[in-house]
Amino acid sequence: MNTRLRRTLPFAGLVFAGIAAPFLFPDYTFQFTVLWVMILFALTWDILGGQMGYNSLGNIAFFGVGMYICAVVQIGLYYDVAQYTASYGAVKVEFTADQYFTGLAVGLIAAGLGAMVFSVILGWVVFGLRGPYFAIGTLGVALSAGELTGAWDYVGGGGGIALPIYPGEPDDRSLFFYVLSFTLTIILFFLLRWIYLGRFGLAANAIRDDEEKAEGMGIHTMRYKTVGWAIAAFFLGISGALFGNMIGFIEPLEVAFPTVTFGLFMVVMCLLGGRGTLWGPVIGATLFHTFKEVTWIYLLGWQWVALGALIVVSVVFFQQGIVGWVKEKWPEKFGIAVDDRALAETDPDLDEAPSQRLRRQTEAAQ
Amino acid sequence: MSKHFKFLTALAFGVAAAGLVAAGPAHAKVEGDTIIIGSAISFTGKYSTNGIHASNGYDLGVKRINEMGGVKVGGKMYKLKIKYYDDESTPLRTAQLAERLIKQDGIKFILGPYSSATTKAMAPITEKYKIPMVEAEGASRSLFTQGYKYLFAVLSTSEQYLASSIALAAEMAKKAGKKPSDVRVAMAFENDPFSLDVRAGVIDDIKKFGMKIVIDDKLPRDLADMSATLTKVKALKPDLLVISGHSKGAATAARQIKELKIDVPMIAITHCEAAKIVKKFGAATNDFLCPTQWAETLSYKGKYFGTAAEYDKLFKATYDGYRNVPYQAAQASAAVLVWKDAFERANSFDTEKLRQALSETNMKTFYGDIRFAPGGNNIAKPMVLRQIQDGKFNVVAPSKWASHKVNWPRKVPGM
Repeated sequence: MNTRLRRTLPFAGLVFAGIAAPFLFPDYTFQFTVLWVMILFALTWDILGGQMGYNSLGNIAFFGVGMYICAVVQIGLYYDVAQYTASYGAVKVEFTADQYFTGLAVGLIAAGLGAMVFSVILGWVVFGLRGPYFAIGTLGVALSAGELTGAWDYVGGGGGIALPIYPGEPDDRSLFFYVLSFTLTIILFFLLRWIYLGRFGLAANAIRDDEEKAEGMGIHTMRYKTVGWAIAAFFLGISGALFGNMIGFIEPLEVAFPTVTFGLFMVVMCLLGGRGTLWGPVIGATLFHTFKEVTWIYLLGWQWVALGALIVVSVVFFQQGIVGWVKEKWPEKFGIAVDDRALAETDPDLDEAPSQRLRRQTEAAQ
Repeated sequence: MSKHFKFLTALAFGVAAAGLVAAGPAHAKVEGDTIIIGSAISFTGKYSTNGIHASNGYDLGVKRINEMGGVKVGGKMYKLKIKYYDDESTPLRTAQLAERLIKQDGIKFILGPYSSATTKAMAPITEKYKIPMVEAEGASRSLFTQGYKYLFAVLSTSEQYLASSIALAAEMAKKAGKKPSDVRVAMAFENDPFSLDVRAGVIDDIKKFGMKIVIDDKLPRDLADMSATLTKVKALKPDLLVISGHSKGAATAARQIKELKIDVPMIAITHCEAAKIVKKFGAATNDFLCPTQWAETLSYKGKYFGTAAEYDKLFKATYDGYRNVPYQAAQASAAVLVWKDAFERANSFDTEKLRQALSETNMKTFYGDIRFAPGGNNIAKPMVLRQIQDGKFNVVAPSKWASHKVNWPRKVPGM
């Protein structure tokens, strides 16, 4: 097999799996849709968390912002939002197919752009923070976004919003949201592949390794961080809008801003698969979602314990994640040259302790 | 880029596909002589206390019906069985599990989840697939204004929960020679669809009497601390304190009312029985008013469990640790009875025929009468208000059902 083919095969496999899945297992379309959204979560988190070393715990805020923007647009185009969401006015509203699809299309775009604008403004505030302060700061943003939305009566407060219902058959509905989620995630995946291979990827990794030095080298770090976050926010915003419509009923604390579930899952999935790699988030999300679905069915009562155990095992034994572990085990497969002979010449005894080696080298120098 | 990536990707997707498929052995709606009813309910998360009460109620209903021979459809006897999933108390999960029950498990009959929020996520999906759902734990009014045809609820809607406590406060004010409009009310509600609906009902009644709201707080997200609200209550000394926050909210309220020694002449809280506050906090809960969908002292009677009191006895004998049977469990059992009744009247497993039969339900049960309005809510049964008097729950309002006089102002030993 030639190299070119070998290189494109996994990508083709991913796309093919995505297209084939709903035809092979039509009854599982909804689960697969959630899987693609999970992959999207992991990929977007990895842009900052993995490639730039900025561990955000608040990315879920963009998901919620997108969800609410889309809902407000979908309803607001045709009705008075405040009346629609009044906690007990509860008007019964019919949306025609035309109104539904127009509302959704406009809503999705607005959700993406709105979340992006939100991320830029937010980035301007929080990118001054580093390390744990950044993590806690962003977590605070996500938590307060949920609370603020919950206190805002115009969008129904804690009572939530029942979204317009898809006008077609229920099976078509599943497929419709599957196609949208799959397309969105694949676009993101190839976009990330493209930008990681270019200047952006190098700059991002430079920021991760040493931000001051990167700045000293003339990299406009703030700009890269903002762009990275804006990409994440754009895709998360749209995914939130899609997810809200899939669920059909949204409310701030549990659905739109689920900080302790989805908000943490996106981090865990990246850690599991291998942060800072293109494929790590994809593999991590797939395994995580499968593990969760299976334990939630077979280990009812113990499911959270099993999930906790998985997280502990992955953090203790696979700190670099699955892809990181494979890379270390078979580095030559990844184009990392390990020439034993050359190494042996410069450093004959690889097994000796670093302190010993240092002593030996100093002695040799003297 | 290499073989290993390819291998890993293939592996990941293979595992995913195998896992998902293996996870769902296709259950038919009826297997042999067993009818399988599906339910996604809260075993974990903030609604888990009530989720477990409800599932106990479902299980007891199923057990009782199976012991009495089962369900007769087309001349054949069938047993009932429930397939459960855990919705983690979040509507996010409910919607996924609804798909799972209907699409992968092939379930055609649904028992509702716990809470209005999760029921709101479930209803659009069952409606789309035209799968009938009998629910016992989603009380929000807005569920029944959507024109859902496949949704049936055995309970009274939530705006009725605490409304009678307002009328009672007005009555007491008159008795004390004050005007009802002098009554000052403090309110604290969880920020969720159910409690907001309860709040809406309370505000309607407060307006009717021209009472004054002095505190209108939302409970925090985790419901573990409401001392901020209670400190204000201490300072402002309202005549009535109303709280709604499911079981967790009720437990927190009872605990902190005790700790902070809150002395208000009248306190009304939802979910007292479900939170087991008498067992946990003893005399400190004396004279709390608790709205209930059902009480074991009411004179209801039905074919399967006998009287309300007999149900109460059976439930306590079946499950440990209950001093009072929460109405959440009783109404869950009633929902199972509604299913059985519908199966037999429809004499079929066809969902359309079942829907028709459900809409024509007219039953007398231990839980009260059950008759559905076109919107799907039960209109044949009232809400009653009970007061904790020396550790016992006694019905004090409305007067038609009252067995005891209301104690006012509330007296707590040692305060």
